[in-house]
Amino acid sequence: MFKKKITLNILLLLIASDILETAIQFFFKKSALAEQGFVVTGLSSSLVFLRAAFSSPFLWAGLLTVVTVFIIWSTVLSRIDLSVAVPIASFSYVLVPLVSIIFLHEKIALLRWLGIFFILAGVVLVSLSSKERITQDK
Amino acid sequence: MREGLLVILSLIAFTSLCDTINQLFLKSAVDSLSFSPPFNTIKIFKFIFQLIIKPRLWIGLVFSLLSLCIWLIVLSKAELNFAFSADSMHYIFIALASRFVLKEKITSLRWLGTGSIIVGILLISLS
Repeated sequence: MFKKKITLNILLLLIASDILETAIQFFFKKSALAEQGFVVTGLSSSLVFLRAAFSSPFLWAGLLTVVTVFIIWSTVLSRIDLSVAVPIASFSYVLVPLVSIIFLHEKIALLRWLGIFFILAGVVLVSLSSKERITQDK
Repeated sequence: MREGLLVILSLIAFTSLCDTINQLFLKSAVDSLSFSPPFNTIKIFKFIFQLIIKPRLWIGLVFSLLSLCIWLIVLSKAELNFAFSADSMHYIFIALASRFVLKEKITSLRWLGTGSIIVGILLISLS
């Protein structure tokens, strides 16, 4: 079944989902930092850590955003093909490193950007192959 | 961070594996229901209700909760930019599971994409 061409509204929803996906990861990272300097070494320290992480409002903000993204995706995928949606949505593979640099003060070497490029290209190829499947099935 | 790299990659592999298992249960739950066009509101709500009472869905959710817990541990140990990029290894597991568990046909384009993701993960791990 072929779906209609991408519209401006769908494009805006996809960009919103990119930004929200990045926000989810930022929130989860913040909640993981709730217990600063705590090192998880085994099962019992994991439980202590998780209790602290789950008490962080950042974690719940993250989960709420997960639900929001899920709803946006359900809407988007009812309108356009996965092979169109995923390449646009995988912009978060660039957005997350950028947010990591700006807000989390992480440093990214050139080799890592190259790796990110290969991952991005791979995700785009995988999603394009879903279109290939549909064409073959027809 | 270097000495902990193997531990972090193993933990990320574990979350990706949990995500894949969740997807397999979800796929199996959805496939066991009949849901075809034309869609209307009643049909959609009926589908969601039938899905919620499937035990398979809940088994999948347990795995996704486990995945979240391990993911938080990963983030406490690794930089976000590294962890997020490396998490793309779930594409590898999904491709393998689709091929060997669901017996789906994987096109050469998809194997090429999966290969590119593997190269990418190796590069970010080296940097």
